[in-house]
Amino acid sequence: MQGKQENVDFSYPAEVEQFRVELRDWLSANLNDELIAARRPSGRDDATFAMLRTWNRNMADAGWAAVSWPREYGGRGATVLEQLVYTEETTRARTPLPLNVIGMNNIAPAIMQYGTESQKLTLLPRMMRADDIWCQGMSEPEAGSDLAALRTRAVRDDDDFVVNGQKIWTSLGHRADWCQLYVRTDPEAPKHTGISCLIVDMTLPGIEVRPLVTLNGDTDFAEIFFHDVRVPADALLGPLNGGWGVATTTLSHERAGAARLYAEMQVRLEELVDDFAAADDGSAHGVLQDPVTLRRLGEIAVRIKYLEVLCQRSISATLHGGSDLAAMGSVSLAKTVWGEIGQDMAALAFDVLGSRARRWADYRLTSRSLTIAGGTTQINKNITAQRVLGLPRT
Amino acid sequence: MNLELTEEQVALRDTARRFLAEKAPISGHVRALLDDETGTTDAVWRGLADLGTTGLLVPVECGGAGMTMVEAGIVAEELGAALHPGPWLSTAVAAPRTLTRIGADAAAASILTGIADGTTTATVGPLDDASIPAVDGGVLRGEIALPDAAAADVLLVFADGGGGTELFAVKSDSPGVSVTPERGIDQTRKHFRVAFDDVAAQPLAAPPAGAIAAVVDDVLIATAADALGAARAVMELAIEYAKVRAQFGQAIGSFQAIQHLCVDMYETVELARSGVIHALWAADNADAEERHLSALRAKAFAGRLATVGDTAIQVFGGIGFTWEHDAHLYLKRLLSWSALLGGPDRYLTELGRTLTKPKKKGCSA
Repeated sequence: MQGKQENVDFSYPAEVEQFRVELRDWLSANLNDELIAARRPSGRDDATFAMLRTWNRNMADAGWAAVSWPREYGGRGATVLEQLVYTEETTRARTPLPLNVIGMNNIAPAIMQYGTESQKLTLLPRMMRADDIWCQGMSEPEAGSDLAALRTRAVRDDDDFVVNGQKIWTSLGHRADWCQLYVRTDPEAPKHTGISCLIVDMTLPGIEVRPLVTLNGDTDFAEIFFHDVRVPADALLGPLNGGWGVATTTLSHERAGAARLYAEMQVRLEELVDDFAAADDGSAHGVLQDPVTLRRLGEIAVRIKYLEVLCQRSISATLHGGSDLAAMGSVSLAKTVWGEIGQDMAALAFDVLGSRARRWADYRLTSRSLTIAGGTTQINKNITAQRVLGLPRT
Repeated sequence: MNLELTEEQVALRDTARRFLAEKAPISGHVRALLDDETGTTDAVWRGLADLGTTGLLVPVECGGAGMTMVEAGIVAEELGAALHPGPWLSTAVAAPRTLTRIGADAAAASILTGIADGTTTATVGPLDDASIPAVDGGVLRGEIALPDAAAADVLLVFADGGGGTELFAVKSDSPGVSVTPERGIDQTRKHFRVAFDDVAAQPLAAPPAGAIAAVVDDVLIATAADALGAARAVMELAIEYAKVRAQFGQAIGSFQAIQHLCVDMYETVELARSGVIHALWAADNADAEERHLSALRAKAFAGRLATVGDTAIQVFGGIGFTWEHDAHLYLKRLLSWSALLGGPDRYLTELGRTLTKPKKKGCSA
């Protein structure tokens, strides 16, 4: 039989492994301990931010900043598997995420699809180099999970849109030069069809930014207030009242990025085991002699591996024309699983190491966001129930 | 990197699924055999053999298909989904993998040929941690746990042949063999204690280092695929029920509380499917360490997988608590997998311990 010729295969092609080696070599020659230490947003000061900007520029100049982008905008047109390997390697090397990670993953695909040629050529390379910092104005006080209920208004007046309203939970809002802003341009239309997307210069008069302090004392995100802000009409991205379509552009770009979910947890688990080993006094009561701790580690380890394969299945479906619904379902599922793993790991670390291990104590708090940010686990489950399992809407 | 099934594999899955639905359904076949010690009928076994499912792992030279664990897993998943009670895992996975892994394919060619053509059923043991029986003067003496022993024509027994562990073949109808059923929670699985009282045993081969551990991994991995099938099937039944069962004037599947239970099942099933695909691949392609890890993980996840049975019963409500409904049969199948060769806590702890050992690779010291 020909059973072995074409069968399930977890290995990556040689050229992809070659790409991995090139990247690994570059990272080991250029990444230093100071940068690795700066990868956590927690407590990041201005000097650290400036250092990371330089690092982002260096990566961009070496061609390692936005590998999935087309070459004309500064990327390398990397294949899906190369993107996967890129995410694995940068995560495992503890590379700081690009300052514009949200911009590059969520805003750039929309600019590439809907932007003018001049917008693409000016905005994208500067985003990649962190010359400009980008934020995304989506959530509002009355529009969280129900994003389409957003109320920030933009009214056409001559050559401008006049914007009034408020955004909240905006990552990097207090540092941003540009905002991809979702506004209501047709208040009479059904809520999904009256939304537009604007690219807004954050220095325009009438914009006020107030940093928000998170539960662990950090200022990761901000509120943004718009008071009669006059935004030039050519700032419109995509069709007027077609903003919901712009917002969903990013989804198809997230497959390879899902590799970060498992790679991040692999790195965290390694760090946790190292910290447990350091805390283990070698006695019979040592941290790593406790079967309950080992059992909890095992529960985390098995799910990280299965999360990895879940992401690989999604990639494989993309590459080889498997069921698209299943692929979409696995990405949403992967995010839920990732959040659960992170929170279980944080709980285990805190239960064993207590408050003295500051980093883990901090993670015990910040890991709450894993099941909230970017769509709560509950909303995710609703979507999976209805779109993948075919259960009826309420 | 390609985790998709080939056209041939999809055809194999569909053929097995159709055969089981038509010839070995839960209502007419499985329930009728709950108290039967063999768990099969001649007609159904012949049908499984005619489809080529008994010879998937038998080498081509012995009349089999010479395929991989991936194909075996595809069939195992369908058998689990159909709660199949016959001796398939023992005959079509444990026996051929044992014989090929220890290099006894030549000595046992007739057994393998019989497995492939459906004329021979077999089982292997002991695979637990219990001490092995002994062969002295050509006769076997001792008592072991052995699945599917009442159905098996040939018992493949690891025993101490005097100079270490060897594999012996024993005809199940030999004088001195006594088979006692061990009723577990799951009546679709047939477990036995088998006592050998000076039974003639044919020596086959001495297993090379690591071969028995590899066979145990193979059996665990194939059984994990079976359990995945059971979990998938009961989840699908519960979701279909949630779409049609109406209360308060609407389908209960429109309530978030029920939707989230269904998604929880789906999450667990898809994680398990990921683990099973990887383990089936690892059984033939990974090094011994990674293969063993993948089997450990599958067992470690078994407790979580069994929650799919629990949750499905919750979605069914009262009807799911009755004997006439099939949900309990699925839960029992999942629980017997969870309990097989030790409960999940043992495997989770063991998996945790593997993390604390120094890594093999990347250590230059």
